This record gives sequence, C-alpha cells and structure tokens, in this order.
Amino acid sequence: MNFAGIRNHIANWRQWELNPIVVKELRQAVRSWAVTGMMLLFLGVLFFVSAVFFVTGADSDPDQQMGGDLFTAFAVILAIASLFFIPLYLGIRVAAERQENNPDLFYVSTLSPARIILGKFLCGAYMVVLFFSACMPFMAFTNLLRGVDLPTVFFILFYLFLTVCALNMVAIFLGCLPATRPFKVLFAILGVALSIACIGWVLTQVIRFMSMGVGSTMGGRDFWIGTFTAIAAYAAVMGLFYLMAVALVSPPSSNRALPVRVYITAIWFLTGLLTLAWVKKVGDAVAINVWFVVMFYLLMLSLIVVVSNSDALSNRVRRAIPRAAWKRFFAFLFFNGAAGGLVWVAAMTAATFLFLSKAASLFPAYLAGHNEWLSQAAIAAYIFAYALAALFIHRTFFPRRPAKITGLLTVFIIALTALTPSLFLFFLNQLTTFSVYHLELGNIINIFSMSDDNRLIYHFYFAMGCLGVMGILNAPWFFRQLRNFGPPPKEAPPVIAYEPPPQIQPQP
Amino acid sequence: MKVEVKNLRKEFGKTVAVDNISFSFDTGHVFGFVGPNGAGKTTTMRIISTIEEATSGDVLLNGVSVCEEPELARRTVGYVPDTLPAHADMTVYEYLDFYARAYGLRGKKRTQAVAAIEEFTNVGGIRDKHLKALSKGMKQRVTLGRALIYDPDVLVLDEPAAGLDPRARVELRELLMLLAERKKAILISSHILTELTEICNGVVIIERGKILETGTIDEVLKKSAPRRTMVIRLLPGSENQIPQVIRELLQTPLVENARETVNEIQFELTGDESAACDVLSKLIEKKFRVVEFRQTRANLEDIFMKVTKGGVQ
Repeated sequence: MNFAGIRNHIANWRQWELNPIVVKELRQAVRSWAVTGMMLLFLGVLFFVSAVFFVTGADSDPDQQMGGDLFTAFAVILAIASLFFIPLYLGIRVAAERQENNPDLFYVSTLSPARIILGKFLCGAYMVVLFFSACMPFMAFTNLLRGVDLPTVFFILFYLFLTVCALNMVAIFLGCLPATRPFKVLFAILGVALSIACIGWVLTQVIRFMSMGVGSTMGGRDFWIGTFTAIAAYAAVMGLFYLMAVALVSPPSSNRALPVRVYITAIWFLTGLLTLAWVKKVGDAVAINVWFVVMFYLLMLSLIVVVSNSDALSNRVRRAIPRAAWKRFFAFLFFNGAAGGLVWVAAMTAATFLFLSKAASLFPAYLAGHNEWLSQAAIAAYIFAYALAALFIHRTFFPRRPAKITGLLTVFIIALTALTPSLFLFFLNQLTTFSVYHLELGNIINIFSMSDDNRLIYHFYFAMGCLGVMGILNAPWFFRQLRNFGPPPKEAPPVIAYEPPPQIQPQP
Repeated sequence: MKVEVKNLRKEFGKTVAVDNISFSFDTGHVFGFVGPNGAGKTTTMRIISTIEEATSGDVLLNGVSVCEEPELARRTVGYVPDTLPAHADMTVYEYLDFYARAYGLRGKKRTQAVAAIEEFTNVGGIRDKHLKALSKGMKQRVTLGRALIYDPDVLVLDEPAAGLDPRARVELRELLMLLAERKKAILISSHILTELTEICNGVVIIERGKILETGTIDEVLKKSAPRRTMVIRLLPGSENQIPQVIRELLQTPLVENARETVNEIQFELTGDESAACDVLSKLIEKKFRVVEFRQTRANLEDIFMKVTKGGVQ
C-alpha cells in the first residue's frame, strides 16, 4: 500500500472491519469444547488454589504477606495455562487448515497470506486477553492482601502476555510448515518442549520480579532501558516468525525470500547497535556474546532454508529483477534462489564475525581466553560445506526431486557425520564414550565435547578444506545461476510452447 | 471471461497425473469434464483453481496466469471441491459470512450478498444450523454458495452431483443452467453422464491424464458415433411381421445390423435423415403396419464407454 492508499485507508476508518480470520476463529473458539473446557479447568484451579490458601495460610503467615504468595501461585497457573494451551490450540488449528486435502481458507479465499497469519496471531492475542481477564479478578484480590504492589502485577502480566504472543507466533509458524502428518507430530512435540522451556523461564522471571518488587525500581532509567530492550527483542522474534509463516503460505511463484532476508538483515543491524549501546553502558562484553550466538545460529538455520530454495525463478520474480547492474547485485542476494541466498548468508556470517572481533577488541580482557569465535568459525565452515555437499548431491543424484529436500539432506549429512564415527568408536572401544573427548574431524558435536580446546584449530582447518572442495564442486552451478539471474528480455518469448486449443461454440 | 488450459502437465513423483492437455472454454459455456477415476480430472480442476501447482504449462483466466499470479487468478474462480466443508463448529450463515468477509465484501454489501446466495442456493431455512448437522445435498449447496458468494466469472465444480438424491440433482441442474445464463464459464466433472449431456455445451474426455475427445457435445457425438441407431415398432398384433421387416431392412442399402429387440426392431443406418425417410417410405409401401419410427441418439455414456479403456493410474 502506498502513502495515498494508507491516507485513504485512515480517512475511511468508519469502514474498518475486523480481520475475517479473527471473526471466524473467535466464533469457532467460543464453541470449541477445548477452549471452554480449558477455561473452566483454569477457573476451577484458581478457585481451588484460593480456597487452599485461605484455609491453610490465613493464620500461619506471620508477615501478612499472603498476597504475594497467592499472586505468585496465580501467575504460575496463568503461565502454565496460557503458555501451554493457547499456542498448542493455535498451532493445531493452523496445521489442520494447512493440509493439502483441505481446500479451505489457505487456498480458496482471496485473503493475502499476511492477513491470514495476522488474523491467526490476533486471534491468539484475543485468547490470551480472555484468559488474563478471567484471572484478573483473582489477581486484583491479591492486591487487597499484602505482599504485592500493582506495578509488579501489571509488569508481570505484560511480560507474560508478550511471552505468550511470541510463543503463539512460533506455534503458527510450526503449524504452517509443509510436512506430512508424522513430521507435523514431530513439530508439535518440538512446540510443546519449547512451551515447557518457556514456562520454566517465565516462572524464574516471575519469582525474580516478585522478590525484586518492580514498583521500587521503576523510577530508575535502567529499568526502562531494560524493559524496552526486552520489548524490542520480543517484537523482533514475533516479526521474524510472522514473516517466515507468511513466506510459507505464500504462493511459490512469489518472492518469498525477500521480506525474510531483508528483515533478518535489518534486525542483525539494529540489534547489533543495541548490543553495542548496552555494552558501552554496562561496561561488560557479555551482551556481545549473547547477540553473537543468537545471530550465528539464526544464520546457520537460514543457510539450511536457503539451500532448499529452487534454482528456477518464476516469471513473477524475474519481472521484479532490476536491470541496473548494482541493483541486480542486491536483488541477487535478497531474492529467491539458493545461489544468492548462499552469498547472503556467507556475507552476513562474515559480518557477524567481523562485528564480534571489532566489538570485543574494545574489551581485550573479554577476548583473551575466549576461543568461541574459533569453534563457531569451524561450525560455520562445516555447515557451509555440508550444505554445499547437499546441493551437489541433490543436483547430481536427485534432480527431479523438489529443492526442499536439500535442507533435509544438509541436516542428514550433519547428523551422519556426527553420529557415525561416535557410534563406530563406541562399539570399537568396548562400549565406552571416550572417543567423544578426542578429535573426530568432520563431527560438529565433537567441537563442543573435546577435552583439549587447543585441537580446535584442526577442526577449523579440516572444515575449511571441506568447504574449499565443495566450493569448487559447486562453482559451475553457482556461476550459471549468477549469469542467469536477470530480468526477462523486453520482448519475452512465450513461456511455453502453445498450440491453440480447440474453440467451443455454445449451442444455440 | 476466457479460460485457456495450455499444455498442462502435473507429475506426482513418477506418476503423470495430467499429461500435456490443452482446451479452452468461454463465458456462458458449461463444459463437462469426463473421465474414469484417476484420470486427472480433480488435479486439473485444482490447478485451475490455484490449489495445486502445475509441473509445466499454464492456465490463463482472461490472460491471468494461475501459476504466476495465483492471488489475482483466485479472484475470478469459484471452486466447489469434491470434499464438503469439514468445520464442525460453524453455522451455515457464519460459513458464508466468513467467505464474504474474506473476499472483501463489507457492511451492507456483505449482508446482501449472503442473503442473495442463501436465496439462490435455497439454504435460507438452514442458516442457523451447524455444518456438521447438514445432509450431503445441503452441504453441497453451501459449498456452491461459498464459491458463488463473490460472484466469480469462472466456476469449477468437482463432482457436485455425487451423492445427491434425484430431486437435489434436478435442482442442481437448474442452478447450473441459471448460472450459465448469468454468463459464468463453468467446468463441471461428473460421473452421471446423462445429466452432463443435458446441461453441457462442450465436453472433454480424459483418461490417464490425456485428452481423448474434446469439442461441443454434438461434435463429439457425431465424431464418435457416425451411425444412427433407428427403432421401429409395429402395431400390436402385427408382431408376426417382424422377421419379414428385418429381411426387408437387410436388403435395403445403408442399413446394417437389423435385429429384433423386445417387440421392436433396431437397426443402424449409415446415411443421413433423408435415407431414414426412404427406409420408412419403403416399409409403408410394403404394407408393414409401422406405428413408431424413431432415431435413438447416442449419448455421452455410450461415447465414454467407447473411447475410454477404464484404465487408472
């Protein structure tokens, strides 16, 4: 939508309507036995816990701090209910609608993929509000008892709300993944594991905020800097999964890679700046390490996705390729296609290492004694080498299979090189696991388990060697892709050979 | 609105579901899509409706490619799948209302569109019923209503008559005739071929992903059944004349395969209508007591049986 369109849209605010997906999903949710049942169970547990507290705790609390304890209990129940149930419900619904034998919604209507995903997300947010509002009278009551201040209540609820929303977005993304039923079950298990991890993490944060007392720290600047950093991090995660989910449900002929790659580049840059600001303020380089690890693994995951891109660009994408050479270079990096994607990930990974070295040089004490950069460099070289190997195998042996198996092949090669030597040596060494502490070239997991870090350099050299060989094997393909990346000729020949079909005249 | 299917091919692994097929149809046409199970009908229809991707080839809806611009193409196609709506927790009204919203109809326009579709498909009386509580015929109507809610120019109907009772079938046929009058281009697949003969202008017969016959119904009938089958009935009580009539017919030029069926005589005539007239004159001249002399028209079912081998893939 251009500026005039946005202005027009705002001017016609009276005609605004709710996202159709939200209307549909909420209508279905209020009739769903799952939502109703969960809500009733939730309220029942809240009643039960309140009753238990009043019966057992009223006389035994010498500090008259029952409000705090009761609020913590409610927060725990709310966190478990909302972090577990809502993402699971959303994910399952999306996965069911995404099935190919269900020609509803995702395929038939003219709703754009972005609106569909936004609708799902908003529905999740409304459900979170529904659960929170059901819990609110209980929580408000705790404030009447002593031991918890209102800022802490609202801050914890806001924090929990953001966490559930982020997890909802992850669940929607997992539901959108095109997979067979066993893989969908696997993704569901992954989602549940993530939910459980989030519940644990949120609960530690809740206890921390309760013991700290948010109200007393709100006056300081640091509190707000920390809060806004957390909000930015949540927004970044939600934005990333939102764009990835949209890309998954977009037609294959669209330029699905562009928004995701631009977004990752943007958050790389912005979060990098934010990290530097934090490091300068706190005077400790730990934040750099956090940023580096997050960005590094995000890029490695991107690499696996990137190699799954098809080599053939649709006419729609080709029409969008600029004719000017310098613009075309950027388009090559950001548009669909495995070759451009590889260059993009390589450039981003190199920039991440450069950023790490430059930022850490501000703190020589931090850099000394840390050889993470070497282990990460070896891991990066291995993953690049295996991704290139997968590309080569796909092109050479399975050219008729869809490109998306290349990503699976990459994961398979990583797993194979990690497990095979370990298993072999496990049986060879009379069922002992000593081998994992020794050097196993080619095994990524060995990098973490080696007892002697000085040998990391051998991994690095070996990985670079593999990368070199794979680079040479893939070079002709890469240059062919680079050469072919261009807009269609101005007077494009017909895309397909076409004989005029027989014309049918209507009967009188 | 012109629908052009161009060299369409779809592979599922090693199976070629649709093998380089081309045909086209236009506004106001009802085009039958006929073939045995596994012939590639549903796959072709799903590609036209932007649900499936083609391996190669394309479908153009007034020049808009379903492969390159599926979002744009989707605005012009209404698809009625062979599966019925599976939502257990929505009423008929909510279902239609959701799709009206999804297609961008707002406020009064949406209310009017839903009401019009309820009236057109005759589901107004069940608007508050849950989808799961509906009979198959009613679900079929709701699905058709969904496909029509935004008034698409092209309708793709995959086995819409399957499982419907005779009354529902007649009503569906009438609905389709009405839609054709409203200048929709309709592609319909069905195994009930006699019905297709009545409502279709053109037909595509497909087997193992390949087109066997295509053209207007008359063209296909002429091409596939060049002989006329004639039937003669004699006055009751004159059945003893049947052997003589058969003998006489077999001596007549252009007549072949004369035989007695139940109290009737059937024969094949290779000539035109004047040849049929000559045969009748000759029989009357010979004082045979003919009370009925008619031509039985080969229908789509006969042609289907003739051109297809019943092979599946």
